[in-house]
Amino acid sequence: MGAMGAAAGAWLARPMMSLARAVPAGRVAVGVCHEYGADVTGTLAKMFDQLGGLEGLVRGKTVAVKLNLTGDATDRLGYLPAEITHWVHPQVIGATVQLLGQAGAQRIRLLESPMSTSEPLEEFMLQANWEPHDFASAAPRVEFENTNYLGYGKTYSRFWVPDGGLMFKGYDLNHSYEDCDVFVSLAKLKEHVTAGVTLSMKNCFGITPCTIYGDDSPVDEPSLAPRGGRGPFHEGNRPPSKSAPPAVNGQASKDPGYRVPRVVADLVASRPVHLAVIDGIHSMAGGEGPWCDKVRHVQPGLLVAGTNCVATDAVCTALMGFDPMADRGTPPFETCDSTLRLAEQLGVGTRDLSQIEVLGTPIAEARFNFRQS
Amino acid sequence: MNVDRNWVPMKWPCGPLEIAHRNKLGSQSPDLKETLQAWARPSALELLKGTPINCLIVEWADGGPEDSAQQQALKPLLEAGRGIGLSFVAKIALKGDAGASVAAARAAGLSAVMIENASGLSSELPAIRQFPRDKAAWETASMIFSATENVWPGLNLQTMNGDTALAGPTGIPWVNSNAWFSLLARELAPGKTLWLDFDPPAASNLLHPAAYALAVADSRAHESRWIISLDDELRAALPKGNVQAKGVWEKLCESAAFFEEHKEWQAFKSQGILAIVSDFRGDNAYLSGEVLNLLNRRQVQFRIIERARTLPALEGLKAILWLDHETPSAKEHAQLLTCVQQGGLVIAAAYWGTPDVKPTEKDPSLRYRLYNVGKGQIAVAEDGFQDPYQVAMDTHLLVSRRNDLVRLYNPETTNCHSSGESVSLHKGRQLVQVLNYSSEPAASVGLWLNERVESARLWQFGAAEARTLQGRPASPGTQFDLPPLSVYCALEFEGTKL
Repeated sequence: MGAMGAAAGAWLARPMMSLARAVPAGRVAVGVCHEYGADVTGTLAKMFDQLGGLEGLVRGKTVAVKLNLTGDATDRLGYLPAEITHWVHPQVIGATVQLLGQAGAQRIRLLESPMSTSEPLEEFMLQANWEPHDFASAAPRVEFENTNYLGYGKTYSRFWVPDGGLMFKGYDLNHSYEDCDVFVSLAKLKEHVTAGVTLSMKNCFGITPCTIYGDDSPVDEPSLAPRGGRGPFHEGNRPPSKSAPPAVNGQASKDPGYRVPRVVADLVASRPVHLAVIDGIHSMAGGEGPWCDKVRHVQPGLLVAGTNCVATDAVCTALMGFDPMADRGTPPFETCDSTLRLAEQLGVGTRDLSQIEVLGTPIAEARFNFRQS
Repeated sequence: MNVDRNWVPMKWPCGPLEIAHRNKLGSQSPDLKETLQAWARPSALELLKGTPINCLIVEWADGGPEDSAQQQALKPLLEAGRGIGLSFVAKIALKGDAGASVAAARAAGLSAVMIENASGLSSELPAIRQFPRDKAAWETASMIFSATENVWPGLNLQTMNGDTALAGPTGIPWVNSNAWFSLLARELAPGKTLWLDFDPPAASNLLHPAAYALAVADSRAHESRWIISLDDELRAALPKGNVQAKGVWEKLCESAAFFEEHKEWQAFKSQGILAIVSDFRGDNAYLSGEVLNLLNRRQVQFRIIERARTLPALEGLKAILWLDHETPSAKEHAQLLTCVQQGGLVIAAAYWGTPDVKPTEKDPSLRYRLYNVGKGQIAVAEDGFQDPYQVAMDTHLLVSRRNDLVRLYNPETTNCHSSGESVSLHKGRQLVQVLNYSSEPAASVGLWLNERVESARLWQFGAAEARTLQGRPASPGTQFDLPPLSVYCALEFEGTKL
């Protein structure tokens, strides 16, 4: 892990990793923004100020921003563009990049592992009818990398999970997740059919390369290009390539509702998130993508940002009309374990709203009930 | 007598020869025999009333003992057919001299013969040469020529798991289509008409109504014609007035009639900013054919240029894929370099540009060396061209999706073809034809055009008139929300630039 954790400086506390120890409290800013447009940048700027400002976090640093661009670029809910339903909106990306640049970030790297392809991230964006130049021109030095394979790296970077991990002892990732000083998870406010909700933590599920963790990855070594989905995580249908750290327990449950939350908790414990930003202006309810049954477009009109991913996701969960203290059997975790609880147990952060300082619009005023919308 | 390029052909299997064929294949049954006899009767032609089908292909001779009986048995059918304006083409499957069979066909008043083996052919009747598509004899193609060994268009049954389409190599359901071959034929046999010969897959029940309409559309949208061929169940059911069979037949005829009403589209030229250059023959045939097929599946709009022809003015082209192992001739080399120096991209398996140019940094996912030459680039595959899938994908990425002419959203089982009155993207009428290769209607399909237009005329089967479909800006182009797509629709636009 090298200097990753410390590199962000004193602006944020490095998550403590021991079980049953006190977890860091968080500050989470909630902004109301009813529509994409000029208000996005201003709202985000205000929220970042409420969190203490970005400058202390990013000045002179390399900032890696993991985007949430799940699924195929041509999959849509009805005729709606992906960014109106299940992808983080390009205006939120552009505004975040602009504000990171204004705060002095030396290099901003936009990262995502697009579905089953090693094509350049810019090409994946173009397929969705996005213009990557818009991001590149929003700050002085903006780069793109597809992290679903080795990419520009010479080797994969290994991230060990503190205290041994819940599903895997460690994870091999694209170099971009190590070669950065600050890691930002830029996610969408959504439900998830397997994990209950998908926010800044679940977004990190996509940092894993399908060259190693894909359904058709080679047995021994990573493939050159990603192959298939992440069956080894979802269903445990096979182990990852042997080059990567093994499972903690090879006989662990095959239930995706057991496995996916644990993998996510492992990932955010091993690759800490320094800043979580969640786009909830437009979204979808009922699932994470148009491939899910009974999904529908919703417009919560919210932006959320925080310095701790567990606390931020807990606030988001509450904003969506759920209890962040809920666990398996209770919405939104009817069929899965709570990633919030698991990450909290790993010492990443707290999900207890009473321990979280909510800035900006209070939860009660901003709540948008996903199940009743 | 001359062949008529406007013929709408249909196989009309019947009579003793077909019955003998089926006996040999072991597929004969009393019901089928009755059907084959029934279709030899003039009354069977009632089916064609009010349809655009005007040319029937009948089995005529295969050198066996039934030839004479067949020709005798068909006389009433031929006479009745001619009386209602039908033309007949005699299918002759002889390994030896076909002269006698051709003469018999002429004497019986047939209009042409369809034949693979041309030896012994006289000029007594026009010939429609037929060949397997991997042995295409482009140089000797007749005015109408026919190819066999085509695929039945639709989702590949071998990639289906029940009702669920499994992914193909592209990550989306694999579909079978003859589109690429139709487009290739148009370039390699210009001014001639390709008839695609393929039969419905063996089915235990009537095919879905959309299946036949798709077989028509997959051919006609790409400037060829399918020799309409019905499955045995359908042929048996139609004379009995089966309602479901009638519905299937009506859908088929509706689609055929649609394209007859839009014959002018046949003259439209394929549009694209990418040219695929090859001789498409011999050792280059497999790679070039597969690359065309896979680029088409990626919805990449391209123009095909046969290497032997002088490379046309490269106006409107941004990229050239030089597929062949052979290096360009001096003349071709000069033309290609001019294109590159003016800002174009040439993709090739070997570097033959200006010496002493060092390759530049590239994206690690693309195993190409990029040479900057003039204002443009030559991209050279580090390991040559080996896997057609990789070549097609790399080509799309090297050219960049920024240059896509069209894109489909929610496209899993759909594809499209862009053409126009001119190869130029900005002159005259333009057309985008969209096809759905699933038997289930495609919902919420979005069509994105890389130009700004206010609206388009939306054409659909069964609608006598087009309706106006409003576009909405989707920078830098226009998005059209298509209605539920059973099989096919076409968007036509001109003079409506924003």
